[in-house]
Amino acid sequence: MRSLSFMRVSIWVYLAIFFAYLLGPLVIMSITAFNSPEFPRATPWECLTFEWFAALFQDERILNGIKNSILVGAGTVVLSVAMGLAGALMLTQIWPKLRATYYTIIIAPILIPGVVIGISTLVFWDRINRMVGLGADSFLSNGLFLTVIGQSTFIASYCMLVLVARLQRYDTALTEAALDLGATHAQAFRKVLLPFMKPAIASAAVLAFLASFENYNTTTFTFGEYPTLTIELAQKVRYGITPAISALAFIIVVLTVFAALFNEANIRRKDLVAMARKDATVEELESGKFRVPGFLSSNWAAVALVVMACATVVVVGTATVYSPAQCIADVQEQKRIETELRIQELRQRRAEEAARKAAEEAETAPKPQAAPSGNNSGFGGVFSPNALTGSGEEEESKAPEAEDSNNSGFGNVFAPSGLSGD
Amino acid sequence: MPRFLREFFNRNGVGMGSLMLALVLFWTVGLIILPQLSMLDFSFRPNLPPPEIGGPKDVYTVENYKYLIFGPEGGSQDYNAVDLRVFYRTLIAAVFVTLFNLVLCYPIAYYLAQTKGNHIRIFALMLIIPYWINEILRAFALRIIFGETGVLNNALVGLGIFDTPFDFIRNDIALYAGLGYAYILLMIFPIYNVIESLDRNQIEAARDMGASWPMIHRRVVIPYAKPGISSGCTMVFMLSAGALAAPQILGGPSSLWFTQLIYQQFNDNSDWPQGAAYAVVLLVTCILLVLAVMRLFKVNMGDIGK
Amino acid sequence: MSAGVGVDLEKLWIRFGDFVAVRDANVKINGGDFFSFLGPSGCGKTTILRAVSGFLEPSEGRVLIGGNDMKGIGPNKRPTALIFQNLALFPLMKVWENITFSMEIKGASAKDRRKRADELLDMIALPGQGDKLPSELSGGQRQRVAIARALCAEPDVLLLDEPLSALDLKLRQHMRTELREIQQRVGITFIYITHDQGEALTMSDNIAVMRAGVIDQIGDGKTVYNDPSTAFAASFVGENNVFRGKVKQVSGDTALISTNRSGDLLARISTANQGKMQPGDDAMLFIRPEAFALAPAGASGDHFVTATVTNEEFEGNVFNIFMEGDGGKELKVSLPNLGQSFDSHKGEAMTLQYDVQNAVALPAGELATE
Repeated sequence: MRSLSFMRVSIWVYLAIFFAYLLGPLVIMSITAFNSPEFPRATPWECLTFEWFAALFQDERILNGIKNSILVGAGTVVLSVAMGLAGALMLTQIWPKLRATYYTIIIAPILIPGVVIGISTLVFWDRINRMVGLGADSFLSNGLFLTVIGQSTFIASYCMLVLVARLQRYDTALTEAALDLGATHAQAFRKVLLPFMKPAIASAAVLAFLASFENYNTTTFTFGEYPTLTIELAQKVRYGITPAISALAFIIVVLTVFAALFNEANIRRKDLVAMARKDATVEELESGKFRVPGFLSSNWAAVALVVMACATVVVVGTATVYSPAQCIADVQEQKRIETELRIQELRQRRAEEAARKAAEEAETAPKPQAAPSGNNSGFGGVFSPNALTGSGEEEESKAPEAEDSNNSGFGNVFAPSGLSGD
Repeated sequence: MPRFLREFFNRNGVGMGSLMLALVLFWTVGLIILPQLSMLDFSFRPNLPPPEIGGPKDVYTVENYKYLIFGPEGGSQDYNAVDLRVFYRTLIAAVFVTLFNLVLCYPIAYYLAQTKGNHIRIFALMLIIPYWINEILRAFALRIIFGETGVLNNALVGLGIFDTPFDFIRNDIALYAGLGYAYILLMIFPIYNVIESLDRNQIEAARDMGASWPMIHRRVVIPYAKPGISSGCTMVFMLSAGALAAPQILGGPSSLWFTQLIYQQFNDNSDWPQGAAYAVVLLVTCILLVLAVMRLFKVNMGDIGK
Repeated sequence: MSAGVGVDLEKLWIRFGDFVAVRDANVKINGGDFFSFLGPSGCGKTTILRAVSGFLEPSEGRVLIGGNDMKGIGPNKRPTALIFQNLALFPLMKVWENITFSMEIKGASAKDRRKRADELLDMIALPGQGDKLPSELSGGQRQRVAIARALCAEPDVLLLDEPLSALDLKLRQHMRTELREIQQRVGITFIYITHDQGEALTMSDNIAVMRAGVIDQIGDGKTVYNDPSTAFAASFVGENNVFRGKVKQVSGDTALISTNRSGDLLARISTANQGKMQPGDDAMLFIRPEAFALAPAGASGDHFVTATVTNEEFEGNVFNIFMEGDGGKELKVSLPNLGQSFDSHKGEAMTLQYDVQNAVALPAGELATE
C-alpha cells in the first residue's frame, strides 16, 4: 500500500513538473505582455499596461502578415482538403498490389523535412516558369502561389489521414443505393458521401488552416513578396524583440482556449441532446414539444466559455479607459531616485578616490585620466553601458529613455560641468 | 482503355473520376515526386546566373557535393570541417533530443492511456493548447525565460545559486529545451494511441504473477507499444534534424544547425544549387536513418499514421 | 394486374479473372412475375442481380429489360431498383427523405416529396414515422422503408437481395406474405434472391435453382418441388431421401433403379430427363419424407422399402420418424399431425410404401450439402 501511494504521489509530481514545463513558458510570456518595460520581462513587475496591444494593432508589418497568412491559409485549406479527399478515396479503390507504394508516396511528405519541401517547391516551379517562358513576375513565381503549393504538399497528407479514418467506416452500398435510385455520380457524391464525411472534412479543414498558419520551415523559402505572420514574427523575434510579440502570443493563447472550450461545449451539448432524444417518446418528438436541454445545463465547458467571454469584455473595457501613465511616471520617478542615489554614491566615491589620489599625486606627476571609454563628450563614464544596470542587451533601449527624459528631472546631473574629474 | 481504368470510371463516373484522378496525379507526381527529382537534378548543376541556365555552361557536376566534404577549391583545409561538423552535430543533437523526448513523454503517454476519468480530457486539452500556438512564439517564450534577464536567471541569481546570469543560450541548453518542448505532442500521441489499445488485463496478469513495474514495462508494455514508439521517435527525429525556427531563435553562435546552413546558401549566398545539394544530403541521411531504425525494430510504413 | 416489364438473360457469362461466377445463364422472366433465384451462398445469384441492376457488366451475353439491351447503361439509368441485403438506408437523412430520394434527384419540390412520402408510409403501415432517423426504427420497420424507397423510384423491375435474412422467424414469415401482397398490388416484376427454399416456394411465381454459377432448373414452385431436374435441385429444395444406384431397366417414363442397399425400386423419370437415361447409368432415386406411408413389417405392396425405426420427433405439424434400412441406409418419414394418437414404434421394423409417381429418378449428380 505504501508503495502504491508513493507511486501516486510521484506520478502527480511528475505530471506537475511536466505541465509546468509545457505551460510555464506560455504563462510567463502572457505576463510579459502586460508588463511595461520595453524588453519583455516578467520580473520585476513594473506597471500593468495595455500599450503593447495597441502597438500591435498599429504595426503595419504584422497586419500585412496576418492578411497574407489568412490568404495562404484559405488557399491551402481548399487545395489540401481537395487533394486529401481525392487521395483518400483513391486509397480505398486502388488496386491492392499498388496500395502499399501509393500509401508510402502520400505519407512521405510528412516525413520530409519542411525545408526540403520548401526548397524543392521553389526550384521546381522556377524551372517550370523558365521552361514555359514566363517572366520573373509570373503567377508561377508569386509568393502566395508557391507558399500554398508548398504547404499543401504535406498538409494534404494530414488531411488524407483524417479523412481515411472516417472513410473506412463508410458503407459503399450507400453510394450504390443512390446510383440505383437514379442519381448521377456527382449527385451521389454530393448528397450521400459528402454529408457523411462532413465532420471529418471540417476537422481536416481546421487542421489544415492551423498547420498552414503556423508553418515556418517551408514558408520561409517560398514566401517571396508575401510574408506571412509567422515569417514576420520570426524576423521580429530574431532582430527586435518587444512585448508586442508577447501581446500577440497572449491573444493567440486566449483565442485558442476559447476555441477549445467552444469545441468542448459543443461536443458535450451534442451528447446531451442525443441522450435526451433517445429517452423521449415518439409523441414528444413529433409534436415539436421536445425540450432541448439548456445551453448551460451540466456543461462545464459552456460555463467556462461564458465566464471567459465576460472576463474578456471586462478586461477590454478596462483597457480602453485605463492609462498606465501615472504608474509609468511613478516608476520612472522611482528609477530617477535610485539613479540619483547611485550617482551620489559614485560621486562620493570619486571624491574619496580623488582625495586619495591627490594625496598620492603629491609625490608623482599627475597623469591624464582618460575617460574609460575614450568618450569626448565630457560626460565621462556615466553614460557607459555598465554604469546604470548590469544587462547588456536592454541598454540599447534604456539609454534613449534616459536621454529623452532629460526634462523629467535628471537635468543638471549630467551637465558637462557636473561630474567628470578630468 | 485498360480494364482497371474502365472499371474505375464505371465506379466513379467520368466527371468525378477524372477530377479525382487529376487531383491525385497533381499531388503525387506534380507536388511530391517531380519537385524532389528536380531538386536532385538541380543539385548537380553549377550555380549560374539566370541567363546562362540551359546554356553551354549548364552541365552536370558534382562540385556542390564536393564542396560539402572538401570545402572551397584551393582553400586552406583538406576537409570542409566547419560544415561537416555542423552536419554531424545536428544529427547527434537530433538523436539526443529524440531520446530525451522519449524518456520524458513515455510515462505521460502511459498514464494518459491507462487511466480513466474525466480529468483525462482536460489533460489532453492542456496538452494540445500549447501546440496551437505558433512555434515561433513558443520558441520566443523560451527565449524570454532563458535570456540573461529572464525569469530563470532572475530566480537563480536571486536565490544565490549563480552570481552572474548564466548564458543558457550560448550553452545550447535553451536550444535543447526548446527542441524538446516543440515536439512533445508528436511523441505522446502515437505512444498514447498504441498503449490505449493494450488490454489492461495483460498488465494485471503480469502483476498477479509478481512482476515488478520495470519488468512489466520492459516485457509487456514496450514490445506492444513498439509501433507507436518508433512512430513518435521517427517524427521527432525528422523534425528535430530539420528544425529551423528553434535554432534560429534559441541557438547561440556556436550551435549552428544544418538547416541554417541551407538557409544561408539560399538567402545569403544565393547559391541555390549548393543549398539544394545540402538539402538532398539532409533528406537522404534522414531517410536512411529512419529506414535503419524501422528495420531494427521491425516496424513498417503502415504504422506511421496518427 | 398490369402487363409488367419482362427481364431476359441471354447466354450470360460472368467471369472474374479465371473464376466463372455465372455460366451460360438463359432465363426469361415474365412481366409482373415474382421470380426467385434460389441457391446456396456463392452460387452466383447475387452476381446475376448486380448484372441486372447495372453494377456489373457481363463478360458475355446480354441482359434485356423490357426487350431493351442494357449493355453500357449504368445503374442510375436502368428502370430497376435494388433493395440491398443490409438495406443501405441513408443514415443521416430522415425516413421521408430516404423514401423520396429518387424524387429529390429529379428535382421535385419538398412539398410534393412530403406528400408522396406520407402516401407511401401509409402503404407500408408506418404512418407518421416520416421524421424519424433510420437508426431509430426496428429491423422490420427499416425493411419496409427500404421497400418504400425503392417503390417510390417507380421502377419497372424491383430487385431484392436476401432482404429477410436478418429478421427473426415470425417477422420473416409475416414479411413473406406482405412482400407478395405488395407485389401483386403494385404489379411490377420482382426478382428475388434467397437461399431459403421456404421463402422461394411461398412467394414466387417461378423459381430458378442455381448451383455454382449454373442454373439447374427453372419452373414454378410445384414443378421444382415435385419434378426436380437435377439431383441438386431435388436435394436442395425441401428434404428428400436419396437412394444411389444404377439404372437397371427403362420403360416409357419409368425406370427400375437397382439401388446399392435397398433393392430394386421403380421410379418415375423426371420430365427433364425423359429419354436421357440408359440402363447402366449411375442414377439417384428420390422419395420425399411425406411420400412414404408406414405399414407394419411384412405388409405387402408394389413398391416398398423395409427399415427399422431409430428415432421419433414431434415437430408440431408433422411427426418425423427416422429409420434405418438395410445396410445402414438412413431414411426419414414425415406423417402429418391429424390429431391421431401416436404410439412409439421405436426399434420396430416397418414397411415404407410409396407411389411410383412420387418417386423421382435422376442421373447421379452433386447433392446439396447441409
